[in-house]
Amino acid sequence: MSGLNGDAPAGVLRSGWSARVGDYAIAGGWTLRGEALVVGDAAGGVYAFEGKSGAAIWAQRGVHEGGVLAMAIHPNRPAFATAGQDGRVLVWSAAEGRVTLAVDVGSDWVENVAWSPDGRWLAASCSRQVHAYGTDGVRVWRSDDHPSTVSAIAWSGTEELATACYGRVTFFDASTGKPRQKLEWIGSLVSMVLSPDGDIVACGSQDNSVHFWRRSTEQDSEMSGYPGKPSALAFDDTGTLLATGGGEAVTVWSFQGRGPEGTQPGVLEHHAEAVTTLAFARRGMRLASGGRDGGVVVWSLGRDGQGDAIGAAPVADVVGALYWRPDGRALAALDAQGGATVWRVGD
Amino acid sequence: MDTPRNIPVTILTGFLGSGKTTLLNRVLKEEHGKRIAVIENEFGEVGIDQALVINADEEIFEMSNGCICCTVRGDLIRVLGNLMKRRDKFDYVLVETTGLADPGPVAQTFFMDDEIRAEFALDGIVTLVDAAHIEQQLGRSDESTEQIAFADVLVLNKTDLVDDDALDSLEARLRDMNRMARVIRSERADVSVDTVLNLNAFDLDQVLERRPTFLEPEYPFEWTGVYALDVGRYELSLDDGPDPAMSLVVVPGQGTDDPALRESAELCVRRYAEPADLIRPGDEMPVGKHLNLQLDSPGRKSFFLEVDTPERVGLYAQHTAEEFDLRLTSANGATSGAEDGPRAEPATPAESGAPHVNGAVPVEVERTWVAQHEHDDEVGSIAIEREGDVDPDRLNEWLGELLREHGVDIFRMKGFISVAGESRRFVFQGVHMLFDGQPDRPWGDAPRRNQLIFIGRNLPERSMRQGFEACLV
Repeated sequence: MSGLNGDAPAGVLRSGWSARVGDYAIAGGWTLRGEALVVGDAAGGVYAFEGKSGAAIWAQRGVHEGGVLAMAIHPNRPAFATAGQDGRVLVWSAAEGRVTLAVDVGSDWVENVAWSPDGRWLAASCSRQVHAYGTDGVRVWRSDDHPSTVSAIAWSGTEELATACYGRVTFFDASTGKPRQKLEWIGSLVSMVLSPDGDIVACGSQDNSVHFWRRSTEQDSEMSGYPGKPSALAFDDTGTLLATGGGEAVTVWSFQGRGPEGTQPGVLEHHAEAVTTLAFARRGMRLASGGRDGGVVVWSLGRDGQGDAIGAAPVADVVGALYWRPDGRALAALDAQGGATVWRVGD
Repeated sequence: MDTPRNIPVTILTGFLGSGKTTLLNRVLKEEHGKRIAVIENEFGEVGIDQALVINADEEIFEMSNGCICCTVRGDLIRVLGNLMKRRDKFDYVLVETTGLADPGPVAQTFFMDDEIRAEFALDGIVTLVDAAHIEQQLGRSDESTEQIAFADVLVLNKTDLVDDDALDSLEARLRDMNRMARVIRSERADVSVDTVLNLNAFDLDQVLERRPTFLEPEYPFEWTGVYALDVGRYELSLDDGPDPAMSLVVVPGQGTDDPALRESAELCVRRYAEPADLIRPGDEMPVGKHLNLQLDSPGRKSFFLEVDTPERVGLYAQHTAEEFDLRLTSANGATSGAEDGPRAEPATPAESGAPHVNGAVPVEVERTWVAQHEHDDEVGSIAIEREGDVDPDRLNEWLGELLREHGVDIFRMKGFISVAGESRRFVFQGVHMLFDGQPDRPWGDAPRRNQLIFIGRNLPERSMRQGFEACLV
């Protein structure tokens, strides 16, 4: 792939805009149809930029004392939630940058926050517990203590929330908070992703492996041999491909047919340092990867997990997160120096 | 893990009540120019404005392979992982563990997790010891033993509550367990900050600079005397002493300079490992063998030595000459046990002005050795210091096997290796089975030698020494 290593964007990535926030850009997202890109930083600031031009819409510095840890975009309203080291979750109106709801979750860091797909519930994890709130910010339920601090949360559907922690994935009923299913495995699960139908749950583990379960059969498998811990995971929209980090290469497992057991994954090589983040575009088997090397690469994949780099661009520092605009025509990268870089994406 | 940009981390361990929080507050107060992040696993009263204090529950994450050496502290990975995103704002990280914490997983975290390793450097492990209570704690818990074994610095705190003799014996016990650590006494954790921060304790150079003798090996004997002897018969006599028996090796052809003494010392270590010949008063003493002189009868006891050619003889004795008033005298013409035969006058060296009695042969050179002693604790230190170059393949094989078999019992190790054909020193350090090594600065004019130290539980010292010996070219 010649021409992908220069300083300018290449391939399908075309120059867009860039902006800066106050510190390491921790998390962000495109609101609704991509009207704005919102970003939270390590100094606790929250910023909104106009989606097309990158012009600053508003900025609120030092809102979360100690720093922002997570962000979740509301699925059907121009709103989003931020979570931080101050133990709070804040719900924002995207247009004005006004906090419409402030929830004191606990005295520890709130490391994960997620809206249910229908926007009815907001879940947040704090230390060993996960909490569920209604749209009014009133807590509906709170889990018992997990075996360790909750490392990841995800909605497997509108009525069920999944959590990952040391040794366990747990599924909770959204209305009652009762555990529905527990999948156990000795190991520190550092990341989690669910297939769109909610049947497959995959976790990256501290011991440099990816462990996954098919919930319908409770059958589990392990992919090992990673040089590092796979903290970046992504499922494509059809639930066919699971992309995993855990080294300089992106490893893509295909669930078509009887896979991925007994199959060879696609190994996508372009990054010079470990992959830090992965994101699939909503349609069309396009994967974006970011690395510690500050590189962003777009890949076109087949259903077997094999693929090629079709675009690449550098940013200033370690890529912390990547977000596709919902229409798949733009890609945003957040980096360790507080940069937010947006490219237009061609065909 | 030692690139300059890495943020140094000090781990502070010690039982509840040993003074960790007091020490922490002192450090934060004195280092007010620095931004220090404190991770606390125990509720303490750290109250210094400019420090960021993060409370985190201790989370011990074992791996599915069941290897304890892969066990890490999940809370540290999580908290440090977030802290490093704001790295411009921190100069230093202090981790205060709970009193019952096993320091292994804490230290292993800095070796095992790539992201942590890329951003942080474990600077040192400081263990606070409550001088008044540690003896009881050592008897009751593995954790306190391990906290001592892992330490780079042992702060012997609350010394005002214990008398000097008890302190001395406590310090000796701690040093026995961990010869690598620096021991500092304090009353109310009032130690200077530079004794606990920026230790570079994982750098063996620094440790050797502070305590150049800590690698001195221990020997099964305490004393050597070299005598210049002419042909003839000699009587070694000993008075009543502290023990009913004493081991001895008589080394013929002994040189007087230090290398010669050390060379024979190595030989005698091997002899001492062999079964001893029991030698009773009046018996002849064969040379070059492990002898055990029987001293249980009261009064002065004599043993005899025949010398065929004029030469220097080295006596490598289990105890010092002073303890038994050990003397070597010419037995030519003496009555006790002497046989008839050719005789010569003892060649008393003319240059020696030392006073001597009854034909006593003066000691030409004597020296003492660091004596091995009974270790009460299972945890101890093994230091290996050898000149010469090491074959890298053999070293790899030996270390690999050692760590496989005894990694669980090895708490800490560090060292320098002189690898054959390599112009630079190879420096290594490790925790349990985790091993980190790389070439360091060139040897230059410095004498090439190997220095290794292991701290562990019930380590097989003899086979470790032999194993390393076999790696030498």
